[in-house]
Amino acid sequence: MGVDRQAEERRLIEFMIGYQKGRMDDFEGLYAALRQPLLRYLWTFVRNATVAEDLLQETFLQIHRARQTYTPPRPVRPWVYAITRHVALMHLRSGRRRKEMLADDQLPEVPVPPEMEKLADRATLHRLLAELPRHAQEVLMLHHLLGMSFQEVGQILGIAPGTAKVRSHRALKALRERIAEREGGAE
Amino acid sequence: MNTDLLPESLRQAISDDLAPVKPLPPVWMRTLYAVAVAAVGLALVIVAFKLTLRPDMSELPMWLGWGCTVVQLVVGVVLIGMALREAVPGSGVPAGTVALAVGTGVLMQILVGIATWMNSPGMQWIEGKGLSIGLGCAAHDLALGFPALVATLWLVFRALPLRPSVSGLLGGTGAAVTADAINHIICPMSDLRHVLVWHTGVIFGLMLVGWVVGKLWERKRFGNS
Repeated sequence: MGVDRQAEERRLIEFMIGYQKGRMDDFEGLYAALRQPLLRYLWTFVRNATVAEDLLQETFLQIHRARQTYTPPRPVRPWVYAITRHVALMHLRSGRRRKEMLADDQLPEVPVPPEMEKLADRATLHRLLAELPRHAQEVLMLHHLLGMSFQEVGQILGIAPGTAKVRSHRALKALRERIAEREGGAE
Repeated sequence: MNTDLLPESLRQAISDDLAPVKPLPPVWMRTLYAVAVAAVGLALVIVAFKLTLRPDMSELPMWLGWGCTVVQLVVGVVLIGMALREAVPGSGVPAGTVALAVGTGVLMQILVGIATWMNSPGMQWIEGKGLSIGLGCAAHDLALGFPALVATLWLVFRALPLRPSVSGLLGGTGAAVTADAINHIICPMSDLRHVLVWHTGVIFGLMLVGWVVGKLWERKRFGNS
């Protein structure tokens, strides 16, 4: 973990401690720091900006109800992302899910793995990413795009760090293969 | 700090209910709470049922008598600790570890039962009395495991288990293994028919209870499991 990541994690811990003490400013700080990455993570579950925003609000309500279950100074992000994941999975199971694919021009600002950027345009990469199984998308999102360690990814998904690493490797391989297939088909 | 994006409805919901909260104690401390309740419960059950050491205790080697009890107690406490860890978001126990821990608890009970039977025949099997003796032992096992199960599940559901059935399964197994650790040095029967049907049966029963309670809690808390 780099110095920036450590500083960011310390900031999140301070926000959580203040929030547990009942300070609204600290909740707002937590929201501001986590809103964008959580929306990106939610993109792996829903492809609709409105639904993602709704789920983000639901996530923060769940975080609020469960705020005493965070124990300082444990890392905040695995705790928050695990709750986010659960909210998203509950949404998918609830039957409220609709066809949520968006046209390319409606895609949210979600980055793609840096090593993939040169291989295809952004819209194509998004489409290929979306075709991967969800567990593969999740690992790519958490590790490659949101910069989490395999230890943190394992804590969020409830799997061993080694399993997270293997899933990440396989997901990248699958993505590369799809890009190669697409290029082969285009020739 | 840019808080413009915080929706007003969310801001209102949070600020309406922003009482200070006390963070959950760490897992080891919550495990100690559960173990303390379980220990008191075990002591009360032993006194209430007037349970005593098995008559052939002196014939069992130390490692098989007290030794296996201590090891089973440790495994039971570890399982309870895992249940409490699983109950906190972002601390999920990997599926392989859950299977290994639960399997170890069950397998250990079976192996201890077989080893005991090989070392000492214990009380003789009485034809026609198997059911009544078995029911008596199952009642003891359930009573011994009940305080640990209740304490563990109470602590589990005070947190936010995102896979409550997994937490319940671990807690149920932990309580069952803890109870069997004590009953191993109490039950006079070594006959494998008795041990594998009634004692192993109670372990599976408490595992099932923990899992089902977890499922029910999930339905109540999250509505659509």
